[in-house]
Amino acid sequence: MMADVLAHFEKVTRHFGDLVAVDAASLEIRSGEVLAVLGENGAGKSTLMKLLYGVYPPTSGKITVKDCPDGISGPAEALRQGIGMVFQHFSQLPALSVRDNLLLAWPKTPFWKSPRNRATGDVLAKLRELAPAIDPETAVHDLSVGEQQIVELVKVLNIRARIVILDEPTSVLTPAETDRLHGFIRQLAADGVAVVLITHKLRDVEACADRIAVMRRGAIVDVSHRGERSMQEIVTLMMGKTVDRNLPSPQPVRNPVDRLVLKNVSAEASGAQLRDVTLTIGRGEVVGVAGVAGNGQTLLAEVVAGIRPVMEGDVLLDGERIARRQPGETLSTRLGYIPEQPRENATVEQLSLAENLALRDLAAGHRTSGTSIELLHAFNVNPPIPGKPAGTLSGGNLQKLVSARELGTPRPAILACYPTMGLDLAAIEMVYEHIFAQAAAGAAVLWISEDLDDLLAAAHRIAVIREGAIVAVEKNDGTLTRDRIGALMAGMPIVSEAA
Amino acid sequence: MTADFVALLAPWCIATLRGATPLIFATLGETLTQRVGIINLGVEGEMLTGACVGFAVGVATGNPWLGLMAGALAGGALSLLHAGLVLGAGANQIGSGLAVWMIALGGTSFFGRALVGNQVTPLPNLGSSLTDGIPFVGTVMAQATMAVPLAVLAVIFVAWWLAQTRPGLRWKAVGESARIAAENGIHATRVRVTAIVVGGLLAGFGGAVLSVDYTQTWAQEMTKGRGLVAVGLVIVARWKPALVLPVCLLFGLAEVSVLRVQSAGYEFSPHLLGTFPYLVVLVVLVLSHIFARKASAMPADLKAVFA
Amino acid sequence: MSLVTRFPVFAVTVTALCFLFLAAAFFAALGKPPLAMLYSLVVYAVGDAYSVSQTFAKTTPILLCALAIAVPGRLGLISVGAEGQLHAGAIFGTGIVLVAPGLPSVVLIPLMLIAAAAGGGLYGWIPGILRARLDVNETIVTLLMNYVSVLVVSALVFGPWRDPASQGWPATMKFPEGAVLPAVPDTRIHLGLLIGILLAAGLHVFFNHGKWAQKIRILAGNRKVGEMFGLSYAFWVVALMSAGGAIAGIAGIAEVSAIQGRLQPTISLGYGLTGFLVAWLARHQPLVILPVSLFVGALVAGSDALQLFAKVPAASAVIMQGLLFATALAVPGLLARWRAYRDR
Repeated sequence: MMADVLAHFEKVTRHFGDLVAVDAASLEIRSGEVLAVLGENGAGKSTLMKLLYGVYPPTSGKITVKDCPDGISGPAEALRQGIGMVFQHFSQLPALSVRDNLLLAWPKTPFWKSPRNRATGDVLAKLRELAPAIDPETAVHDLSVGEQQIVELVKVLNIRARIVILDEPTSVLTPAETDRLHGFIRQLAADGVAVVLITHKLRDVEACADRIAVMRRGAIVDVSHRGERSMQEIVTLMMGKTVDRNLPSPQPVRNPVDRLVLKNVSAEASGAQLRDVTLTIGRGEVVGVAGVAGNGQTLLAEVVAGIRPVMEGDVLLDGERIARRQPGETLSTRLGYIPEQPRENATVEQLSLAENLALRDLAAGHRTSGTSIELLHAFNVNPPIPGKPAGTLSGGNLQKLVSARELGTPRPAILACYPTMGLDLAAIEMVYEHIFAQAAAGAAVLWISEDLDDLLAAAHRIAVIREGAIVAVEKNDGTLTRDRIGALMAGMPIVSEAA
Repeated sequence: MTADFVALLAPWCIATLRGATPLIFATLGETLTQRVGIINLGVEGEMLTGACVGFAVGVATGNPWLGLMAGALAGGALSLLHAGLVLGAGANQIGSGLAVWMIALGGTSFFGRALVGNQVTPLPNLGSSLTDGIPFVGTVMAQATMAVPLAVLAVIFVAWWLAQTRPGLRWKAVGESARIAAENGIHATRVRVTAIVVGGLLAGFGGAVLSVDYTQTWAQEMTKGRGLVAVGLVIVARWKPALVLPVCLLFGLAEVSVLRVQSAGYEFSPHLLGTFPYLVVLVVLVLSHIFARKASAMPADLKAVFA
Repeated sequence: MSLVTRFPVFAVTVTALCFLFLAAAFFAALGKPPLAMLYSLVVYAVGDAYSVSQTFAKTTPILLCALAIAVPGRLGLISVGAEGQLHAGAIFGTGIVLVAPGLPSVVLIPLMLIAAAAGGGLYGWIPGILRARLDVNETIVTLLMNYVSVLVVSALVFGPWRDPASQGWPATMKFPEGAVLPAVPDTRIHLGLLIGILLAAGLHVFFNHGKWAQKIRILAGNRKVGEMFGLSYAFWVVALMSAGGAIAGIAGIAEVSAIQGRLQPTISLGYGLTGFLVAWLARHQPLVILPVSLFVGALVAGSDALQLFAKVPAASAVIMQGLLFATALAVPGLLARWRAYRDR
């Protein structure tokens, strides 16, 4: 089938102040084809597609969309023109029901949206097709992340989109859900839709891409058809040099002494639960926690860090209780704690970088020491000006700032939650280096991550969390596979492993 | 026996209904405003302005309905100031509401001077020779005016509109996230301005009902914080229009009990009794926090105002 | 960070000019010559010794109420309860005087002040504990509680505390000499003003230097992070709301003792709301509250005199404050939008 060019980028550039997010990119989007836009974090993939979707205009260059002479002025216009985008952060209203969310995005919603109205029945047709188990009247915040993603996809399909853009869709899915999504994507392309898949995972590319555009530092460095290049070549193009993914592996630990102990921990907070969690981490040991997002990882971290109280059970560090019992207690956490979303959870935006680095001391009423500049440079925080308010930093730099504070001095234990989110490869390596250095110095490391490959490469043991309970703790001795972890994450029976 | 009971109950019901009616309009209006993510403390000022202008027009034209309309329009006009400050100039919502209240306090104080002591033609009662005979309902209708059923209808209509219509859904979306609403092609600012003005119209109408219908007088600062009570009651009603009715009736009941105790001849300071309705609202507000998960019901964008 | 550099001089000037323009428009709408009125306003505020004394008399409660709002405001709490706390303080302070009117002033005045602070503090503690424990919105609680304590004052003054000698107008007995706050002779500049100034200075030091300052800044910036490092948001909510209430309580007894001479229903002319306005304009910074409350005090004193002598309606003071507030709210935002539009 002769593919139509549905959209065309011509030397498109986008600046944010001094930052060049997209650099003279030229690309065609064709119907009936899955185009993978591949690159590591910060390469500009999301920004490129947001330009098409109309979130912001290009600084220079032109984007033409077929049958749309006036261009795309904004997301509402994009929807009207049949361009749908499924973002990493879903565009859903958690307090409203699935049906309401779908009706909101649907152009043909009648004035009276009664359930008996035939027109409102149409909006649910695709949902019933893709996921009959989801009850349309449930509120979105009661759905799992994978289900929310399906709802998001249905929103886009309901507008009969001719271009569907998916931004890093598989980062929140179990391996089985990922396979299902890959199937949807291939089906969409077979139906004539142009699918753009933004990803940094080679697995996604291997599974469904017809064409591969590689981006690096804002520029499109290569466009190739499936099969034209080997995976190694593509990795080289992505990284800019031949790089073996060189995760510093931790030193093996023999008979470790228990350091960080969770004993029958149960807790509950805003919809999440922890049920009878028992986990022991020894001196110098790195224990990874794998699981689909939203299965209790956040609550687990907050309980161990002493932010949320436990209902039952205890958390001990070096024999001392660090769990919070009453909401009114005040504890200052002795762990090195790197939470997810550092902007909301680990920094005070109005204070300066130096003050944020010294937050523990300031909160305890002590004076600050003057080592901030060294720390900022050691962790590559940009710009390294101690007096600047932390709110002016980008997300990635805030992550590095928090890492600097928590990993910069030896600690008895480290609790790291998705510590490499939003960082480029060099920064990821640096953060891992520091975490494993802490382990080498004797710290107990509890590491929550979404990246199974990283966990398999570097953790001594991997615990799997599902629905607030630890369903397994496996030794990572070389025999543990992705499939096995995936099955545990999804709660499926373990099938005999395909290598 | 039953006749006595009915005779006792009827005046309480009537008084509660009539006392609650102005508050129902104001609370309903503020509920809509808060559902789109805006808090408007100027409701107090809008009620006051509605009471003042409504009374003035009612006296001048001799037609209470014109007075009520005028009161509504005055409240709506004043709310435009809040809309302009918050949405046009990005001003802080609490501060803007208080500024509007201040201006209304001063303005009505000034313009209302001339109105004190005037008489207004009241709204006709609902009762007629047809209904006078019916035991309980007849007595109630004989003493109530159109304002009461209007209030009930307004609640029913707004509850249905918010839950079952497309524009109602869009308004709810704006209150949850203006950003996501915009991504769905909704003009968040336009919706917010509309909601603020509708809130102002309803508050103004409620104020006019207070002066023209309920008390049939004008006095300085006569709303005595009813508008602020309305803001509190929106929270107690969990931002649901349908709950506005029972919640306001509770306040009306509290007010009526105070008056009854006074007229029953008990030796109680009228001022001390006057604190009772406010205390009731405070207690109910606290109870609703203890027993319900408030955080989950508040429209998400509204939370940002208090963060 | 220097508090002066945080104050955009340009925005302040534009605000002042806009306000003057609106005030002039207001006078014109009343049918009075605008420029002459503005001039009279200034004269009545600071033109002679009496006017200056009046200005200071008005400034004192406004200053204290503004500080009462600013103290919890530093933590991000929005309390509008100064009016109610003022009345609560007046009640408690008056209570002490009525119980022991014969005490020498060396004993009575401090007791009176402490009682007033306790009363106001209690009235601030209630919304504080509700916010800390149950997350009940303090803005609404304080707004409603305002009405309650005002009514209680009336209840006391019409009832058990009524002085039989005050026939037409209910009030308590006149405060004995020992209970009247010392003042500069022949003026209305009294101890309350000194207390206000000292408090402003002390609060400036408290909130900007020293270990508590940092703790409060952290909690105000990000409550979750503060609690993660061992700080207690609940503690500071209660502490600051109570402290603010105590300051407003002092404002209340100062008005009763030094200005009115007795407790009566009209001890406050909306100082609570004015205090909120001032605290807001000054961005809750104690040292900035000093000149701003003086400015607003002059505005109020001048408008009051204008009402007496130039037959401008009594409500003008309130309207002018409302206009000032609205202008101060609108101008920074409009300026920012204009700048963004220009830079596009």
